[in-house]
Amino acid sequence: MTTKPRKEIAVSVVLIVFSLLFLAYSTRYPLDTWENPGPAVFPLILGAMLLIMATWQLVGALRAAKRAEHKEPETAGPKSLRGYFQDNREEAKVIYLCMMLAGYILAMRRVGFFVSTFLLVILASRLVEAKSWGRPITLSAGVCLGCYLLFELWLKLSLSRGILF
Amino acid sequence: MADQSILSYLLIALKPANFLSCFAGAVIGTLIGVLPGLGPAAAMALVIPLTLKLGPTAGLIMLAGIYYGSMYGGSTTSILINVPGEPASVVTTLDGYAMARKGRAGAALAIAAIGSFAAGTFSVIALQFFAPLLARAALAFGPAEYFALTMLGVILLSNLAGTSRSRSLIMMISGLILSTVGMDPIGGLERFSFGIPTAQGGISFIAITTGFFGIAEVFAVLSAREKPQEILPVRLRELYPDRDEIKRSLKPIARGSVLGFLIGLLPGPAATMAAFSSYGLERWLSRNPETFGKGAIEGVAGPEAANNAACGGAMIPLLSLGLPFTPATAVLLGGMLLHSVTPGPFLLRDRPDVFWGVIGSFYLGNAMLLILNLPLVGIFARLVRVPARYLMPVILVLCTIGTYGDNGAFFDVWVMLGAGIIGFVMRKYGYSPAPLVVGLVLGPVMERSFRQTLIISVGNLASLWESAICKAVWAVALIAIILPLLIRLFRKKTDVSSTD
Repeated sequence: MTTKPRKEIAVSVVLIVFSLLFLAYSTRYPLDTWENPGPAVFPLILGAMLLIMATWQLVGALRAAKRAEHKEPETAGPKSLRGYFQDNREEAKVIYLCMMLAGYILAMRRVGFFVSTFLLVILASRLVEAKSWGRPITLSAGVCLGCYLLFELWLKLSLSRGILF
Repeated sequence: MADQSILSYLLIALKPANFLSCFAGAVIGTLIGVLPGLGPAAAMALVIPLTLKLGPTAGLIMLAGIYYGSMYGGSTTSILINVPGEPASVVTTLDGYAMARKGRAGAALAIAAIGSFAAGTFSVIALQFFAPLLARAALAFGPAEYFALTMLGVILLSNLAGTSRSRSLIMMISGLILSTVGMDPIGGLERFSFGIPTAQGGISFIAITTGFFGIAEVFAVLSAREKPQEILPVRLRELYPDRDEIKRSLKPIARGSVLGFLIGLLPGPAATMAAFSSYGLERWLSRNPETFGKGAIEGVAGPEAANNAACGGAMIPLLSLGLPFTPATAVLLGGMLLHSVTPGPFLLRDRPDVFWGVIGSFYLGNAMLLILNLPLVGIFARLVRVPARYLMPVILVLCTIGTYGDNGAFFDVWVMLGAGIIGFVMRKYGYSPAPLVVGLVLGPVMERSFRQTLIISVGNLASLWESAICKAVWAVALIAIILPLLIRLFRKKTDVSSTD
């Protein structure tokens, strides 16, 4: 199977599962009557529409996959995860950045906005191909100072404070 | 309302705070337009917390400035480095960059700026006349009419956004589903909040917008292989187009202004569609269509005028009906609601200062942008050289502050990250985030009007299409469904007959 129908099938399956869960959860709310429709009516209609659209898409993708199988037989087997990331370093960077951001949000509560932001900017700059440490550190200090002056002093926005600052 | 009072309201834009907000919005918008990455919707979402300190008029003037300023800025990089800052400027790369390679970069930039100014001003004049008229007419609209209008929006947007209609519809429905989180708009029952206090008020619009447009864009830039860009030099004496270039640009600018304004009224990516339609029209009308793509000034003048005029057009359904049909106007609506300003038929009556102040700022902002863009074009173009390694972390921090600052809730920041990841994956799989954002905003209006119609008519479903306005709106929706199917059928038949 080629990559395109496979992706389409994967997305359709995820959407079908999501719409089924959403429909099931929507039944917890009252439906009431047509004269006075309850809070479950609109979500149920939407869930059903999503289910229909996703199923339609899945059927189309399965047909396309069948056609593609007839045309070009599969040549290479599935790659290992490590092999995939070696070939797609940029994609791996996105995953690292996601993990960094998750850590950043968690750290913001514990050590405060400024310390965690200082670290995030340095690490993110390094990840996006900064070769030295000097410039990312300078940038990070500048960003933190700018945020402090603009958001805390001028706009009086209360950014998260932790054990450090 | 007497003309005198309209004028006095328009002059509100000249108050120092509003003037500065307009200037700041225009500059931020131009920067956003120049830099590939953040679009106007994400930039406006980021600035909303900041505008809350400025008050409704100044705040909304700044947001509107970002919206139309980004259209000006988008052309600069299209012409100088063949990289559009905005989707609406993609078509400008065709002839703008070709002109730049022939040493006419300055002329292309000047015509783009002048065309944008002329079209922007034309669209504001039209907005000033048509928005109050439509607002008055909208007083006759009941829930059934609003439901029909939102349905029309959904159908048209699924036709126009992205490459696949089913994918756009899926994204739109997903947005509508997200809008059901929080209080039920009729009975006030809490839905899908899973006991999370922040979710009881609904999913944060800013978190979703910054996630889908800001964080997802950072991921997209990170996953793309960068290549060094060459910026073509612009000398000041080259900034002025010659007489022949001006003459050839006048009609395309006029046509682009009208076409862009009309397309702006429709749901969908109005500015992008307007630019492409104008390019197609100019090429079709040209005596030398073979020059298009090789540096025809008409190919720059028309589309640049059209995408700016579309911004004014898109403001009409927002201001007079309270219905946003583009992601950027959806964010503007979000901003208005946060400022306790409700757009719609009663905006003109309840908040004339905001209504006319924002319209007045359009005149001012367009003039500012013309003055800013011509001499500072070289500086704006150099900004593209700012390496991603410095720009992207700053965008991440701004997205986080913008999202956290809205409610002071970490839950929103997690939603932003989740939206960023989903947005990145969906984009890779060919799903555009724009219909989702519009669905998120249209959802409560659609649900409320649907349920109110049934309550008023005591469960009579036919009341959804009984009135004359409803019939007209549903007829347009039906045409929008049938027409693409007929076109596809016709194309298939012609393909079969040509292969035979």
